[in-house]
Amino acid sequence: MILLKAEKEVQVISARKTKKFLKFAGIPLVIFTIVLVVPFVNGFYYTFTDWDGFEVTKLVGFKNYADSFADPKFWVTLRFTALFVVVSLVLVNVVAFGLALIVTSKLRSRNILRTFFFVPNLIGGVVLGVIWQFIFNSAIVSLANKYDVELFKESWLQDTNKAFWALIIVTVWQSSGYMMIVYITGLVSIENDVLEASQIDGASPLRTLFLIKIPLMAQAFTIALFLTLRSGFMAYDVNVALTDGGPFRTTELISLHIFQDAFLEGDFGTGQSKAVVMFLVVALAALVQVTISKRYEVQR
Amino acid sequence: MKKSMKLGALALASALALSVVAVAPSATAATCKKKTEVVMFGTIKKEIREQFLAAASSYNRSQNCYNLKSILGDDSLTFLQNITPKYATKNAPTIMYDLQYIPDMADKVMDWKGTKLMSLASPGLLAAANIGGKQVGLPSTAEAFGLVYNKAVIKEAGIDVTKIKTWKDLEAAFKKVEAAGKKPLHFSAIWWSLGAHFTNMYHTTAGKTHEARLKVLDDLVDGKKDLSKDPAFKNWLATYDLLKKYNQGAVNLTDTEFDASIANLASGDYGFMFQGNWTEPSLNTIAKSTKFGLMNLPMSNDPKGYGNDSIPVGVPGYFMIDKQQSTKEERAGAIDFLTWLYTSPQGQRFVADPVTEGGMGFIPVYKGFKTKPATSMAGDIANFVNAGKTLEWINTYYPGGLQEEVGKVSMQQYFTDKISKAELATAIQNAWKGKPKTWRGEAA
Repeated sequence: MILLKAEKEVQVISARKTKKFLKFAGIPLVIFTIVLVVPFVNGFYYTFTDWDGFEVTKLVGFKNYADSFADPKFWVTLRFTALFVVVSLVLVNVVAFGLALIVTSKLRSRNILRTFFFVPNLIGGVVLGVIWQFIFNSAIVSLANKYDVELFKESWLQDTNKAFWALIIVTVWQSSGYMMIVYITGLVSIENDVLEASQIDGASPLRTLFLIKIPLMAQAFTIALFLTLRSGFMAYDVNVALTDGGPFRTTELISLHIFQDAFLEGDFGTGQSKAVVMFLVVALAALVQVTISKRYEVQR
Repeated sequence: MKKSMKLGALALASALALSVVAVAPSATAATCKKKTEVVMFGTIKKEIREQFLAAASSYNRSQNCYNLKSILGDDSLTFLQNITPKYATKNAPTIMYDLQYIPDMADKVMDWKGTKLMSLASPGLLAAANIGGKQVGLPSTAEAFGLVYNKAVIKEAGIDVTKIKTWKDLEAAFKKVEAAGKKPLHFSAIWWSLGAHFTNMYHTTAGKTHEARLKVLDDLVDGKKDLSKDPAFKNWLATYDLLKKYNQGAVNLTDTEFDASIANLASGDYGFMFQGNWTEPSLNTIAKSTKFGLMNLPMSNDPKGYGNDSIPVGVPGYFMIDKQQSTKEERAGAIDFLTWLYTSPQGQRFVADPVTEGGMGFIPVYKGFKTKPATSMAGDIANFVNAGKTLEWINTYYPGGLQEEVGKVSMQQYFTDKISKAELATAIQNAWKGKPKTWRGEAA
């Protein structure tokens, strides 16, 4: 008798909980399912079919995956993307952290600088790509010819290695402002008493930075690293607008490669299966990164 | 001279007067209870968007059965990229216009056979949109490419372009331009120009008959063709080198190159460029009073060599009408609009009038056109066509993605001296290997 009553109570509580949950999460959950879960499952299903962008006529098993892995260009693009992710990840975060330190220092112009550094992030990737295409193609080249600077005399977008750095420069320029905000939040969240204590103990500013500030704001690093890792793998708009994969299709990042596989050559099956492979790669990389950076976070 | 100009003005004035009369709804148009909306994807070309939309609204006013509405796609995407999402969401437009992806669309669109418009089309221009006996599309206009030249500069240098039949003639002309203190040529490295049009210079001279040219494509797909042993390919490479040698435009591999080449030729500093008549409206926008011409690109040193006195003339795109997701009324409206555009007096004026006068500047490819080709280059093309000196656009048959692969990679690599002749030949062979033979009816 008593047991039944307790059981009932538990049921009431769980029903109440479910109701509460649905009240708050119901609408977002429905939207999430419609725009993310359903297309994802659908896309996953397409990888096992002969989908040509219009219709499915039969199942083909793992053929699309086999074709994807047999495509040498897929591997070249993956390598190029990995390089892009590593370099952009490092540079974006180093620059962003440096900017965050500058604008949280006692500089007079720190507020205006904050706006300054953040503005590139407000420009869309395509617009940004077109602007920088003009800068690399015309502006820098004509200046270099006028003042005789050998390095810039030929457009950087004409050479695979330089075009890679052009992509990096634009990416760093665009996203470091945003990551700066993340780091600012981390920096200002450190309690003043800790900093004062270190000052009284006679720690140099550099020592304070490495032994007090950075460990105490490790969470900001976890977030910023995750965001840059993800956006590095997903980079598409700047790639299209700035280099369009050129010169000689050597600067195609994985997203652009998948897109062209599907829509340019009409190989929707392999394009979709490459997208699934890329999803797994990104998910794995992000998981590893978050697990590792979590270890450095200080629990307070 | 003056007299003829006056006559011309008179003719124009009377034509205008006629068109005013013709705007009234035609008697043949039945009265409909409600207007059916007919959706067309795009405006044929983005360069003539305004003119096309003017034609569409003129059509909409001329009758009360159909309302033609043009929806715009994303210009930076290919036709297929734009159209597949529309089919997936059951939102397919009724009228579509494309060239490259005709084989992909063949089973989704209606057969034009038996329509009035098809019976009026130039028979030679229908082949490229005939897939396995089904007439998938009808042509919009004819276009041609070759050497585009600035008539003022050519005149100043004292060149008679009609006498240019060989490399030697061409080189002499380039030198004359240089002697006149100008730059001879802007040969642009833009990928579609190299990948589609310049490669066509080889394919169109690789055989003297249509069948022989398609056989070259067959052999390339089967991996049986050794390009480096083909004399036509060697000639083509030599032509490539000649143009590279005299090119004075700054080498640029991105899309901004197209605008740069047009600006250069229009400025009067350059004599020639390798392009097509689609550049004429842009050229005339910059240099209003200058005339531009289109001429043959010699492919050997033999004055009688195949194709040396001819230009590749083809259709840039075909009209297709969806049959999977459209209603019967929508299809009827689509046919009615296109028939109106190419057969009615008002429609024809929109089609063939120069761009500067509100027309699309098209070269008539249907019987019964009253208007004469209005632009300088259209006149040049008409001369080549009338003299039977035309070459085929084999690039119409390139499989989807091929011109990107060849144009963006090996052709641009050769342009910038990154690979040798032999490597270019191998790269082109590899790009073709295993591609579907759509010209033999294979599925894309």
